[in-house]
Amino acid sequence: MEQWDVVVIGAGVVGSAVARELARYRLRVAVLEKELDVACGNSSRNTGMLHAGFTYKPGSLKAECAVEGNKEFDQVAAELGVPFKRTGKLVVGFTDHDMENILKFKAIGEQNGVEGMRIIDKEEIERIEPHAGGEFAMYVPSSGILDPMAYTIALADNAAQNGVKFFFDRKVTAIERYIANDCYLVHTPAGAFRTKWVINCAGAYASQISEMLGYPNYPVRGFKGEYFVLDKKAGEFLKIPVYPAPNDKGGFSTHATPTVDGNILVGPDSYVTEDWEDYKCTKDHLDGLIRDGSKMFKQMRREYFIRNFAGIRWKRVDEDGNVLDFKLESDQQHNPNTVNLVGIESPGVTCALPLARRAVARLVEVEKPQVNENFDPVRPAPKRFYDMTREEQAAAIAEDPEYGEIVCRCETVTRAEIRRAINNPLGVHTVTGIKNRTRATMGRCQGGYCETRITEMIEQELGIEPTDVRFNHAGSYMFTGPVRGAQAPGEAAEGSVSA
Amino acid sequence: MKHVDAVIVGGGPAGLAAAIELRRKGIDDILILEREKKPGGILRQCIHDGFGLTRFGETLSGPEYAARFVREAEALQIPCLTDTTVLEITPDRHVYASSSEHGMMEFEAGAIVLAMGCRERTRGAISIPGTRPAGVYTAGVAQAYINLKNKMVGRRVVILGSGDIGMIMARRMTLEGAKVLGVFEVQPYASGLPRNVEQCLNDYGIPLSLSHTVTDIRGTDRLESVVISQVDDHMQPIPGTEQEYECDTLILSVGLIPENELTWMAGAEKDPGTSGAAVDENYQTTVPGIFAAGNVLHVHDLVDFVSLEAEALADGAARFIREGSLPACELAVRGNELVGGLTPSRISGTGDVTVSFRVRRPLRNCTVELVQGDTVVKRRRMPKALPAEMIQIKLKADDLNQTDDLEVKVSC
Amino acid sequence: MLREFTCIMCPQGCDISVELDGTTITSITGNKCAKGEAYVTQEIENPMRNIATSVLIDGGELPLASVRLSNVIPKDRIFDVMAEIRRVELPAPVHEGDVVIHDVLGLGADVIITKDVDVA
Repeated sequence: MEQWDVVVIGAGVVGSAVARELARYRLRVAVLEKELDVACGNSSRNTGMLHAGFTYKPGSLKAECAVEGNKEFDQVAAELGVPFKRTGKLVVGFTDHDMENILKFKAIGEQNGVEGMRIIDKEEIERIEPHAGGEFAMYVPSSGILDPMAYTIALADNAAQNGVKFFFDRKVTAIERYIANDCYLVHTPAGAFRTKWVINCAGAYASQISEMLGYPNYPVRGFKGEYFVLDKKAGEFLKIPVYPAPNDKGGFSTHATPTVDGNILVGPDSYVTEDWEDYKCTKDHLDGLIRDGSKMFKQMRREYFIRNFAGIRWKRVDEDGNVLDFKLESDQQHNPNTVNLVGIESPGVTCALPLARRAVARLVEVEKPQVNENFDPVRPAPKRFYDMTREEQAAAIAEDPEYGEIVCRCETVTRAEIRRAINNPLGVHTVTGIKNRTRATMGRCQGGYCETRITEMIEQELGIEPTDVRFNHAGSYMFTGPVRGAQAPGEAAEGSVSA
Repeated sequence: MKHVDAVIVGGGPAGLAAAIELRRKGIDDILILEREKKPGGILRQCIHDGFGLTRFGETLSGPEYAARFVREAEALQIPCLTDTTVLEITPDRHVYASSSEHGMMEFEAGAIVLAMGCRERTRGAISIPGTRPAGVYTAGVAQAYINLKNKMVGRRVVILGSGDIGMIMARRMTLEGAKVLGVFEVQPYASGLPRNVEQCLNDYGIPLSLSHTVTDIRGTDRLESVVISQVDDHMQPIPGTEQEYECDTLILSVGLIPENELTWMAGAEKDPGTSGAAVDENYQTTVPGIFAAGNVLHVHDLVDFVSLEAEALADGAARFIREGSLPACELAVRGNELVGGLTPSRISGTGDVTVSFRVRRPLRNCTVELVQGDTVVKRRRMPKALPAEMIQIKLKADDLNQTDDLEVKVSC
Repeated sequence: MLREFTCIMCPQGCDISVELDGTTITSITGNKCAKGEAYVTQEIENPMRNIATSVLIDGGELPLASVRLSNVIPKDRIFDVMAEIRRVELPAPVHEGDVVIHDVLGLGADVIITKDVDVA
């Protein structure tokens, strides 16, 4: 059996960041992920805010990591080739109570080290963003927007490029500790992984893994929120995230946020769920989003709707239901060679790298591994065809004619880009995985034109049968067989007509 | 950069018909730009018959109908660049297009014909609640997989929406051994043609349930079931009417939207009634020299009318290419509350015009009046009018005045 | 006896009402043309339909070629004819109008190709 130095459980944004930070050392690292791609859970099911850090309790890990993660992100984005915009943010209010809360959290933000926040009047709101609602606002210049899926892919790609191995469709079912051999056996349905260290980055499932490692099964509560994705045509109306004033506990309800790609996200609302995989959208909540979203964004119109999704923030809570800070712990005495991360939710994307450094530091302190001198923090990220000038596009086609074939019309994604995505460093080849790496099928026609082409390219490029193409999850087959030919299931079928 | 008298964007039925007719009107320098490997457009996957009765007086399959135009365009030696996608059209009629074979191309066009057709409305556009498993397809995508790619998309099927393609796919999948559990339509009437209710659904014992919609989609990997609810007069689901249908496939046939991204890029104004470009009686958009016909302008129920409309467009386009402008069209065309999808938006009163529209709900024994000022220009009585059927009324220049707006009044 | 039909002969889809004495039409209303009466007569005696589907093509630019019938067949034989068509496999190229099956099941209709498929 192969021997790993570290097994990271979970390839969300935190697991991928941990993997990337581990790659700075000469360690054999395996990342185990239950899904077929990175960031299938809540790492991608959020607003994509680079948070400033003004709502978190001073001194908390959330506050500390958010401010740290925010400050360094220009460099991180440049290294990893992740689209990022430091847009700033408007936290808008309508009532005296809103103003009280805004001022309260402004003071907290200042304590946390957030710079440049200021209160502005309606006139200045108008000037910054004419389509924003609100009578007054707090302007937060350090907030920004990023694509959390693209960020996680970039972290994982960069880890893989520096030697980390990713294993998908590997749900951890049990962890055994072998004291004599100073190692763990991490069991999955596809076999066990023998490793010296285990780092728990299991996100929603972190408490279960925590218990497998010998730590408590920390109580968590799922706060679910649903979203609308609006067409890029709506994106022309909003250049800066607009949030309502926080509630007394620092929570935000429905907001409107532009994405780095020019769409608008409206949401999330917030309600409690008990199902780990409860990512369904519901009519009542979508109706609520239309109602509340219109207050933040005046152009919330049905003609702009292109998609919905949902995410769940699994927050660690005490017996009274009060939300607790992120948990990052290690215990060499009782659970040696483990790092446990539990209750990592919002602002987990902003905090991913700061948390990863703290987690890896625990290992480094004990293990004192050699530094990997070949570590390259830069991930090559070729410019998208869509983002090129006409001259650049012409040059790209001249060099690789497949740039001339537009596969996804709505997002102007070329055959060259799809092919590159199919051959990604992580070996992911679901249709959704190709989507998340190229934006193909993400536009207003939602794959109506390009999906048939993408599935065909996946088959040809990888030499697989149509029945082996997967949409997102392991059982998400897209085709039941050929219409005609060898195993066409229609042959057995008996139809009938009505008189 | 190359000058071309007429650049046709799209080599489907509209683009081909416009190109052929322009050539017949003496325009020699024409170029069709088509994104697919072959011309013919969506007809290549519409293998059912029923096309061509109006245009050719016989009933053809989609591929045969398209082939007639393709062959004619070939015989007339009209060039068509396939595998070529138009990226941008500018208001001064520059067209940027790319292909693997020819790289980045720029054309300066005497006139541009927009013939991009339409796309399907998706799950996201109508916000169907539920999970996001595999197995949810729009009817056109399912049709492409089954008829072009030899891939069966599922075995146990529910269809949402009674658009023509949805009903045609109900029959198609039944013929290939799938079990179609039913077609569910949120409106109190079928949105496709009555003949398709008859020959696609009734013939195969597939139930059509009106005033019903999908209120939940279940399953995480592959679709496992959908929940159907009855809706009230405001199309809101009625609690307590939920019924779960176990299925692996949900086909959506919930409407078509003109594909106008390039149109707006060129600066043309939208007609709020059709979601297509606002055009005058010459099918000219608000940008001089840019014309639109077929489904890109307004969604037709029959391809025959797409072809006829595109042929009609050639008059104005040819004249524009020769003369550099067309007479101003300053009279507005308006419809009353029963009229939807009305084109054209403006007329001159000096030329023949074909007015197209749909009624907003099914009507019996209604009257259509086209009125200028106090004058009824034309009156038509209709025993039956359905939203599924586009109504076209031709007016002669001699019957029109040049001072009053044209009003389309439908009454019951 | 009164029976109602939706004519499928053209897109107009006339609603036709007929009064029947056995299988004899005693009165007919709603049809805008003679085809409507012919359709209803046929529908009462022996409903006939055309079908469109595909046949497998070997070595073609497309895996399938579309087909239809040259003539209508009895509605209750549709699935028998489908079974025959399903057995067909042809090498590319095929051309519009090519007859794939002559007089399928002796029903007086040919199965014909409706789309050219060239060699890949």
